[in-house]
Amino acid sequence: MALDLTPATVAPPLRERARDAAEAFGTLAVAGLLLLSFGLTSGPFLDGTNLRNILVQITVVGVAAIGETLVLLIGGLDLSVGANVLFGSVIAGDLVQRQGAPVWVGILGGVAASAGIGLLNGILTAVIGIEPILATLGTFLVAGGLAKIVLHSSWIVVEAPFFADLVRTHVVWDLPLMVIVMFALYAIAAVAMRVTTFGRSIYAIGGNPRAARLAGLAATRIKILTFTIAGAFAGIAGCLQIGQLGIVSSGNAVGLEFQAITAALIGGLSVSAGGVGRVERTLLGAWIVGMITNYQTIRGIPPNYQQALLGGILLLAILADRLFRTRTT
Amino acid sequence: MRTALDRRYRDAWFLAAMTVVAVVAFRIVEPSWLNRHTLQAIITQNGPLAIVAMAMTFSIVSRHIDLSPGAMLALAGVVTGLVYRDTGSLALGLLASLALCLVSGLASGLLVSFLGLNAIMVTLATYIWARGLALGFTNGDPIVVDTRLTSITNHSVGGFTIVAPLVVVLFALAWLVLSQTRFGRYTYALGGDPVGARRAGIRVGAYTTGIFVVMGFATWLASTIVVGQLASAQPYAAPSLELDAIIAVIIGGTRLAGGEGSVARTLLGVAFISILNSGLLNLGLTDAYYQVYKGAALLGVLSVQLLLRRLAAEEVRRRQEAEQLLAEAHGYA
Repeated sequence: MALDLTPATVAPPLRERARDAAEAFGTLAVAGLLLLSFGLTSGPFLDGTNLRNILVQITVVGVAAIGETLVLLIGGLDLSVGANVLFGSVIAGDLVQRQGAPVWVGILGGVAASAGIGLLNGILTAVIGIEPILATLGTFLVAGGLAKIVLHSSWIVVEAPFFADLVRTHVVWDLPLMVIVMFALYAIAAVAMRVTTFGRSIYAIGGNPRAARLAGLAATRIKILTFTIAGAFAGIAGCLQIGQLGIVSSGNAVGLEFQAITAALIGGLSVSAGGVGRVERTLLGAWIVGMITNYQTIRGIPPNYQQALLGGILLLAILADRLFRTRTT
Repeated sequence: MRTALDRRYRDAWFLAAMTVVAVVAFRIVEPSWLNRHTLQAIITQNGPLAIVAMAMTFSIVSRHIDLSPGAMLALAGVVTGLVYRDTGSLALGLLASLALCLVSGLASGLLVSFLGLNAIMVTLATYIWARGLALGFTNGDPIVVDTRLTSITNHSVGGFTIVAPLVVVLFALAWLVLSQTRFGRYTYALGGDPVGARRAGIRVGAYTTGIFVVMGFATWLASTIVVGQLASAQPYAAPSLELDAIIAVIIGGTRLAGGEGSVARTLLGVAFISILNSGLLNLGLTDAYYQVYKGAALLGVLSVQLLLRRLAAEEVRRRQEAEQLLAEAHGYA
């Protein structure tokens, strides 16, 4: 008998959808509570300028976290994201500032370079079979090293007005262009994960790799593609970082992979297994982390203690994942 | 038949060969490298890595990865330094940092074993908060700890400090524990088949927690050695110790999937990483080239080892098929 794939049988049961909604509401409620309590205890926090600042501050991590989310969804882990963001920004900066290439060539080059590292991640994990944590640890070293080689132990001040315009040009509600780019990328990713075969394949492979393979999904190809796309997002994040900082130096994007993982986890990605979670909620996770960081800065807490607290928040997110999610599955 | 040339040991032999190749290559490029003094220096400098990698073998064999040791080593050193500075008692400082390491290991172990949290994520959180606290407590500045500890750790007999015999004794002990004791057998059982281990009546939670506490103790020991060697507590100490330790364990041939492996393999892995690090840095490479070569060497060795393992598995499968065919043929005859 042919497999019946009519929508009626494919749509998730009502209970599952209700749980999904409750979870999304829970994360939203946390974000709202934090917003309220921070606003009540600190005058300037709720200023429009400050809230817009938070959005600008989370843009680079937010865009890189889209890729990290896809990799986590397929049951992988990508430790090379931070180094790859640096690599993309170095290539773009070098092409535009030192080689005098047009801006679009620089951006294309930067994104392609990062996507290349992603492709390497995909081949190492899906074809050769190295565990993702080790393969991406190796490419973390390679990408970071290559970036520093291109930098010539120096830095690049990027003067092309295009990058500065990413922050200076305000589109709607006084939001800078780079924030709009982030929202657009999240919108595209969220829709693509729902309507394209590729998006649903990621959920299928992450949820049950064996079943997905038996059902005839080309798991190897889809995994390679996922890592490559994650690399491309890191490259885009690198280009946005040029806009944000105006300068490319080897200290940029250090530890960004951990911020991206934290954002995805707070957004409700399942830690223990792939196939559970939503891309757009990672944005909410990044926003929550951004609010907390911003509030601590306003309060004058030194960055080192902010890092310590981030570790604590990550632990809470993992605990919440365990306590609220796994019970029903 | 179990011989040293058994196909199961091919990946280890390959790594040993690569270690020799690395030594020869570095000698050709830089003839002054690797005399008696550099060898002694390599052993002294990599003692902490060896100790943490020893404990990491237990973690990975039981199917858990512990990312905490690097940051925790720095925080333990800072705590030792702070208590020593404020009270003047080194013993009190060491006791405080020992308590910190054991409690942190215990907490991670309990979270992983009784709440079922993912070990990588739990220890990733430790990796972040412990480094943050180490930097926060000191504003990034080192604390001078010039005590008897330094004269003990740096006292050398024939060029070798106490680190060399300590590492040898610890690895011998770890080998005995893993291969001869119940704790060792259960460590393999937890990694090989956690559900089966539970059904067999093993107290999985208690033993898993124990493995994290072992890592806590090893981290404290490594931290004490580093504080002694440098005569100071450095908040930036051991920036990627946990990653080097994981690489040493995996490249030695212990599977990330758990249930297999040995500390002897880990010792081989530590030797490879130590020689690679020392040789590359000795070439006067900038940090950038050093990173690229190290990453490429790591990925290359891992890829070939996987290939060798796959070939070995294929060989076993063919032989079994041939035997089966032969048996059937006999049956018909």
